Amino acid sequence: MADPFSNEPLSVDELPRLRDAAFVSVDPRYMWGRLAGLVFFAAIAVAVGVLVVRRSEAVAVPVLIAGGVVLLIIATAVLSVLEARRVAYQVREHDLSLRRGVIRHVIETIPYSRVQHVNVGRGLIERWLGLATLEISSAGPDISVPGLAVADADRIKQVIAQRAGIDDESEGPNAVAMSDPASMPWPPPPSSPA
Amino acid sequence: MIDLTQPQRQSPIAIVLLGAGAIRSLGIAQVALAVFFIARGAADGRLMAVVVLAVALLVAVSVLSWWRYTFQLVDRELVVTRGVLRVDRLTVATDRIQSIAIEQELLHRLTDVVKVVVTTAGTAQAEFTIDAVSLPVAEELRRRATALGAAASGETAGGSIEPTERVVFQHTPRRLTIAALTMSPWAGLALIPPLWFGLQQALEPVADDLSEATPDVDVDRLGWWLVLIIVIAAPLFVVILNLGRVYLADWQQALRTDSTTLRRTSGLLSRFSTTSSVARVQVMTSRQNWLQRRAGIRDVYLSNAGDGDLRLIACRDEEFAATAVAAGLGVTDQLPLDRRVHPAEIWLRTRNTAIVALAVGAAATLLVGWWAMLVLVVVPVVWWSTRRHVRHHRWSLAAELATSSRVISSSTEQALVRKANLVRVTQTIFERRRGLAQVEVATAAGTIEVGMIPLDEAQAVRDVILHGVETDRRAWM
Repeated sequence: MADPFSNEPLSVDELPRLRDAAFVSVDPRYMWGRLAGLVFFAAIAVAVGVLVVRRSEAVAVPVLIAGGVVLLIIATAVLSVLEARRVAYQVREHDLSLRRGVIRHVIETIPYSRVQHVNVGRGLIERWLGLATLEISSAGPDISVPGLAVADADRIKQVIAQRAGIDDESEGPNAVAMSDPASMPWPPPPSSPA
Repeated sequence: MIDLTQPQRQSPIAIVLLGAGAIRSLGIAQVALAVFFIARGAADGRLMAVVVLAVALLVAVSVLSWWRYTFQLVDRELVVTRGVLRVDRLTVATDRIQSIAIEQELLHRLTDVVKVVVTTAGTAQAEFTIDAVSLPVAEELRRRATALGAAASGETAGGSIEPTERVVFQHTPRRLTIAALTMSPWAGLALIPPLWFGLQQALEPVADDLSEATPDVDVDRLGWWLVLIIVIAAPLFVVILNLGRVYLADWQQALRTDSTTLRRTSGLLSRFSTTSSVARVQVMTSRQNWLQRRAGIRDVYLSNAGDGDLRLIACRDEEFAATAVAAGLGVTDQLPLDRRVHPAEIWLRTRNTAIVALAVGAAATLLVGWWAMLVLVVVPVVWWSTRRHVRHHRWSLAAELATSSRVISSSTEQALVRKANLVRVTQTIFERRRGLAQVEVATAAGTIEVGMIPLDEAQAVRDVILHGVETDRRAWM
C-alpha cells in the first residue's frame, strides 16, 4: 500500500514565519513580582550580614563581603527588571512561543499537537499580584509562561487543551467559558464548536 | 495454541521470585540483622516459632500473590490483575506501551522461564513486571501486544497484526571481541594513580631491604620499571574488564524487526530482549572513537521516550544503514549533510579557554610558582580541537534534522522533523554581535543542537520544523 503522506519541496519563504512584532509582553506586575522575591532574599541576606558584622571583631572583611552582596543584589535586580520586560509570548494557530532571556536571548516554540499536559500555577506572590504561570508540558521539555493575568492564563490554557485534544470538563473555578469566541486570541478552528 | 484473551497465570517459579522480592522490599540489612539474631537465639523455642510463622506467612503471601496475579489481552488492552488484600486491576492500552522487554536472568535460565518488563511512555520505570512465564507465552504476549498497539496507532497500513520478524543483523563472538578491544582505554588511566600509590606503599619496605642487602642495585631504576608496568597493566586490566562486560551483556547481540517494531536481544548468562515500536524511536545517534574508526565499526543508539532505548554496539556501516532504515530514518551516509557552522566558534572557545586558563594559572602561580602557567598549554589544544570540530561539523535539514561532527571521535545524530516536541532558538551576546544563533530541536528522547549558524537560517530551520510537525500526521510516538 502506498504511503499516503506526501512531502513535496516547499520554499522556506512560503512558510508562516514567527514574527518578533507579534509577541505579547506579559503583565507589567510580573516585574514587581520578581522584585518582591528579590527583596525577600535581600532582607534575609541583610539580616544575616548585620548579625555577622555585629559578632565579628574584624570589620573590614564583613563590610567588603556585605558590599559584594549588595552589588550582587543590585545587579540581580537590574537583570530581573530587564528579564521581566523581555518575557513575552505569542499564541498562534498551531503553536505557542515564549521569548525570554536578557544575556542569552531565547525563543522557544511548542506545537499544540505535542502538548501532553497544560496547567495554570499560582505561587504566593503571584496570588498577591493576581498573576498566574501557564505550565505547558510535552513529552520532551516543558515551557512555563509566567506573569499572565489569571483570566488570560485560563483562556490560553483552555485553547491549548482544546487544540491539543486534551481538554476535559473538569476545569478549575477560574475557567473561562468558550462560548464567547471574541474572548479568544484568534478565531476558533473550523472543527470546534463556536 | 496460547490464548491470551483468557487470564494467564505466571509459572510457579514466580512464587520463589515473589518471595525473594518480598524479602528485598523488607530490606536486605533488616533481614540480615534478623537472621543474625535468630542464629544467636536458635535455641529459644518461642523465637523459632516466630521464625517458622514468618516463613510460613512469606510462603503463603507469595503463593497468594502468584495465584492472584493474572494477565490477559482484552480487545486492545493489556489487563493485569494483582494483589492479595487489595486487588489492583491495571489496564494498559497496547498503543501506549513503550517497550516490552523479555529478560532471562540466571535463575530464569536454570528454570527455563523468562521475565517480561512492560514500560509505557508515562513512566520512567517499568509499568509492571511479569516475574516468570514460559518463553512461548512471553513471545506471544510481546508479539500480540505490539501488533495490536501498532494497529491501534495506525502504524500497520494494511491492518495486518501479525507481521513477520526478520533479523537485521547478529554479532559473532569475533565482532564482540573487536568491540571490547576498541572500547576507549581512557578509563584505565584513572587506575594508574591508585595503583601507583598502593604499590609504592607495599613495595617501600622491600625496596629498603633490597638497597641495604644489595647496594649495587639501583632502586630508583627499578621504580621506573614499576611505572612502566603500571602504565601497561592498567589499560590491560580495563581491556579484560571490557571483554568480560561485552561477552556477558552483548553476547549474540541481534536486532530484529518486522514492519512496526524493533527488538534487540543479547546476553550470555542472562538473556535480555528489548522491544520498541518503530514510531517511538525519537533520535538515532552513532558514536565512533578512533580505534573503532580503524576497525570500521561504531556504536548506535536508538533513543525512545522513557525506558526502552536500544543500544547496538560495534555495527559495521551496512548494519548501521540497515538499522536506520528499520527505524524509519534515512541512511546517514546518504543524507546531504551539506551545511556548516560559522568559524567564529573557534575564536569563542579559544578566547573563553584562554580567559579561564589565565585566571586559574594566575591564582595557582601564587601557590606553586610560575609552573602553574603551564595550564595555558590547554589553549592551543582547544584551538586545534575546535578548528577541527568546525571543519568537520556538518548538518542538514530535510525530512530529518541530521548532524555529524568529528574531532578525535566522531558522532552523528538524526531525528525525523515530525518527532520535534519543542524548537528553541537562542542567541548569546557573542552570537548576537555576529548575527548568529543556535537552534535546538527537542524530541521526547533527546535534543539535537545546531549552533553558530546565521540567525536567518536558525529561524528558517525552526519554521520548517514547525511546519513539518503540523503537516506530517504520521505517528510520532
